[in-house]
Amino acid sequence: MSSAVTYDSTERRTALVSEFRDIWSRRGLLGLLVVRNLTIRYKRSLLGVWWTALNPLLTVAIMFLVFSRVFRLATPGQPYVVYLLSGVLLVSFFSQGVTQCAFSIIGSSGVLKKLYVPPELFSLSAGLAAAITFGISLIPLLIVQLVVGVGVPWTFMLTPIPIVFMVIFITGIGLLVAAAAVYFYDIFEIANVALQLIAYLTPTFYPASIVPVHLRWAVDINPLFSFLQVFRGLAYQQHIVSWHWYAGMGAYSLAALLVGTRLFRRSWKNLVVLL
Amino acid sequence: MAHNRAASLKEFAVHLVRRQIRYEQFYALKQIDLKVPAHEFLGVVGANGAGKSTLMKIIARVLPPTEGRIAVRGTVAPMIELAAGLDNELTTAENVVLYGSLLGRSPREMRQRVDRILEWAELEDYADVPVRSFSSGMLARLGFAVATDVDPDILVVDEVLAVGDQAFQHRSTERIQELMRQGTTVIFVSHDLSTIRSLASSTLWLDRGEIRMCGPTEDVVTQYEQSASL
Repeated sequence: MSSAVTYDSTERRTALVSEFRDIWSRRGLLGLLVVRNLTIRYKRSLLGVWWTALNPLLTVAIMFLVFSRVFRLATPGQPYVVYLLSGVLLVSFFSQGVTQCAFSIIGSSGVLKKLYVPPELFSLSAGLAAAITFGISLIPLLIVQLVVGVGVPWTFMLTPIPIVFMVIFITGIGLLVAAAAVYFYDIFEIANVALQLIAYLTPTFYPASIVPVHLRWAVDINPLFSFLQVFRGLAYQQHIVSWHWYAGMGAYSLAALLVGTRLFRRSWKNLVVLL
Repeated sequence: MAHNRAASLKEFAVHLVRRQIRYEQFYALKQIDLKVPAHEFLGVVGANGAGKSTLMKIIARVLPPTEGRIAVRGTVAPMIELAAGLDNELTTAENVVLYGSLLGRSPREMRQRVDRILEWAELEDYADVPVRSFSSGMLARLGFAVATDVDPDILVVDEVLAVGDQAFQHRSTERIQELMRQGTTVIFVSHDLSTIRSLASSTLWLDRGEIRMCGPTEDVVTQYEQSASL
């Protein structure tokens, strides 16, 4: 039995540092939660892991027919199908990640009412599970790239970089939504609409160049656009995109994490009584 | 605490406009000044709604105190609800690992302890069965077995043992006594005054959020009984 104080409610906590330490000390549990998240998802579905690959392919096939053949959209300098698929995968990564991240805390409210577990652990586990799912969905992207002839540059191996930042970004935004969701359950409806909006504001199925100049700012400030530029650059575009996209990606992620964790911690004190 | 709690943004906006939200100060606990020495068995009694569960949750770090300070020395295994960390989709063995990890142990350690825990709970035959189909008694055994196996420095029990059958009552009391011999501090909320009398050296009596009495068990429990029968 130790005589060191293990819990002092008045202990000053520095933002992010204390959260990191909490989470790092519970990393075994984090791993368990991620595995559980993934196995539950796959246990239920008929096709299991294959669905992660099939779903985006089917979606993209339909979108390709509609946008490329009917609307005659084209992306100069790159095959439309690869442009489309990479965009759809990334945006799905984000929207599913945020939704599950937010749900994870609400879903674990039963546990959080009775035991102490850092709630951010559940959010992070959802973000990591979404990242792993995204990783698996990169396989069909690889195949499409090979089939279409665009090839796979060595920079494809660097795709974990935007993935890591995306997990950070998702966790931050997810915590914000989760904090609001405990007060008002219909935040999920609002979040759904917002996610759809962001999807449209991201050049997934259209090249950024066709956006009228006076509206271009809306696309440029969209955080997902930075992520997408970096991701596409690494995945198939054979060149490292301008550094300011990387900077944007990094800045958005860290800002989301800081704001998300700060606001979440502050409201958690009030929320946990309401659960 | 807001009366008339809104479940959606629209309701909240409507209530705000109609001035239907009243914010009142409701303190579940007031002026609690409590020191629990290590290795002690502290009984906690009080009427329903007196704040006993709230106090347990504060000790278990589930709720932060609104004012004041709490300091805890040692690991805490809370038993505020026995099946809190269990996942219906997972098997018994997987749940042992998950629940133990939620309580603070590493999954690797828990995997080594699974057999021993299932043996104590007499659930070895169900190791690979999802807990979805378990009776409440089985869940109680499982939860108790995991919570007491993690060798906590402090065990917080909040009226959870009443659900079990005679055999469970007996074995769980035995387990607790074993932990006491190993030096675990136990904080035991119960309406079962005979158990409190037999196990607790000191008892705390909470009444409407305040400490009514705190001291040697016999004195406190007798007073409590007298007040209850008035």
